[in-house]
Amino acid sequence: MRRSSADIIREYGPFPEVERVAGVTYDGRHVWFASGDRLNALDPDSGETVRAIAVPAHAGTAFDGEHLFQIAEDRIQRIDPQSGRVVATIPAPGGGGDSGLAWAEGSLWVGQYRDRKIHQIDPRTGAILRTIESNRYVTGVTWVDGELWHGMWDGEESELRRIDPRTGAVLETIDMPPGAGVSGLESDGADRFFCGSGTSGKLRAVRRPRRDAAGR
Amino acid sequence: MDSLITAAAQALAAGDPFGALNRVALREDAPALALRGIAMAQLGDLARAKALLRRAARAFGPKEAVARARCILAEAEIALVSRDLGAISGLDAARAILDRHGDRANAAHACYVEARRLLLVGRLDEAERMLAALPPSPLPIAMRAAHALVAAGIAIRRLCIGPARAALARADTAARQAGIPALLAEVESASLVLDTPAARLVARGAERLLRLDEVEALMASGALVVDASRHLVRGAGTVVPLDTRPVLFALARALAEAWPGDVPRAALVARAFRGKEADESHRARLRVEIGRLRVELRALAEIRATKRGFVLAPHSTGEVAVLARPVEGEHAAVLAFLSDGEAWSSSALALALGASQRSVQRALDELAASGTVQPVGHGRARRWMTPPVPGFPTALLLPAPMPSG
Repeated sequence: MRRSSADIIREYGPFPEVERVAGVTYDGRHVWFASGDRLNALDPDSGETVRAIAVPAHAGTAFDGEHLFQIAEDRIQRIDPQSGRVVATIPAPGGGGDSGLAWAEGSLWVGQYRDRKIHQIDPRTGAILRTIESNRYVTGVTWVDGELWHGMWDGEESELRRIDPRTGAVLETIDMPPGAGVSGLESDGADRFFCGSGTSGKLRAVRRPRRDAAGR
Repeated sequence: MDSLITAAAQALAAGDPFGALNRVALREDAPALALRGIAMAQLGDLARAKALLRRAARAFGPKEAVARARCILAEAEIALVSRDLGAISGLDAARAILDRHGDRANAAHACYVEARRLLLVGRLDEAERMLAALPPSPLPIAMRAAHALVAAGIAIRRLCIGPARAALARADTAARQAGIPALLAEVESASLVLDTPAARLVARGAERLLRLDEVEALMASGALVVDASRHLVRGAGTVVPLDTRPVLFALARALAEAWPGDVPRAALVARAFRGKEADESHRARLRVEIGRLRVELRALAEIRATKRGFVLAPHSTGEVAVLARPVEGEHAAVLAFLSDGEAWSSSALALALGASQRSVQRALDELAASGTVQPVGHGRARRWMTPPVPGFPTALLLPAPMPSG
């Protein structure tokens, strides 16, 4: 298992009227983050928030190329980013204990915080297709280049960890500095992770470790 | 934290405890228990709130020290307002944890809860040290109001009425800015104390009621004061405690009440030895006790023999006065504490009075028989109140329950 310390490239925020960051996703241009009663779009280059959609936004956020998905209470809302309208709603698999949401390969992947699980669900019905057990609290989920990463936050400790999507075995961990929580995790598809920092209301960009040709 | 916990915490912060409860009512995990506890405290069900917070503190994992510390703080605050003064434990450790993890607002909140407790049990110096270690300016506004209220409480008990008024004015401003009605009401009821008769003055055969600022002026006037609420004699910068010597105190009080006249031996015997006829053996004992009182008061006054008894002759040219509680009776001290309008446990009263729990219990039973006080609840949860007075709420400034996630 590889272990390293987080290389924090940049910190965004705190933002006005944002008390906590609850979920993060990336649509190719903007980083969207959930802050309780709205979804905010951030330009990661300028650091400015450029838009907001007023919608209940209590945990994980994801983007499938067309729609935003947002966990609110015990449901997952499908949101049209143009109009800001909620176009569909499915039950969240953790019944409200959900934290962390990602889109990959036609499925939604949902973290179940204190139950230390990640569910793969059908984005149309919410049906659980399979469940991966982790051994830590799950506070964010993302896929990049076929790698499944999740954010872990347990009190004073937090990590980004890559796990084997079949077995749940931990393959790699990135330690966050003490006191820096992880709430919401998203990759930009290249060499950056974006993660929320819970109640401090900030967003961080963390460098994704480079790999050699053998994948190590 | 997860989705429903976030939604519930948001509802709680918006002043909607029912909304918070609706979202986590059936959940038994640690953050849900903590949220339910805080919500129940906001709704005034302190017994259930305490039980929930205690369970939450136990349920948080070993790495969730801050979350646990916040539960302990909330529980301590609830114990304080329910006058469960003996039940506050672990607050020091919780404060250290909050401080170490940079949760300054809640660390300050813990200081304020501890200072209030010290104030209630009469440990003024320690309460003052607690406040002094806590700079008020960068704190949240509600904490500043709380800070000023404790400072006012200390000043009132020290009889420094000018600083007390100034502190209450600061508390009033901060409470208005914070917009917390319960806090504002607490400031108002504290202000009321300054305008209510606090003591009864007996001097030159006449009696009248004094406000606290008049008491302060009396103390500063150089008069020799026999203080019947604290059982001491003071004057010219000297304090002679007689609280462990009831016979000497009774004699001093009788002499002060009669001043500048003298007191017949028979009257002194009756006052000091509980109404017995003054026979020869009592006269001999009186001489011994007067001799002892002379030694105790030598810095303040002489006690001269007269033809029929004894007279007090102070060294200073000032007056002599007796300061007593506005209403005296056997259980005046118990009633004085209960008059703050809160529900007290008998053990908390015993702690605050420095008396045994048994004697406090006896006093409460007698006061209850005459309808002066009333019990609330049963068994260990039993509390005592004077019949409810409107306008005596208690502000709970509960910590935010969620540190992370």
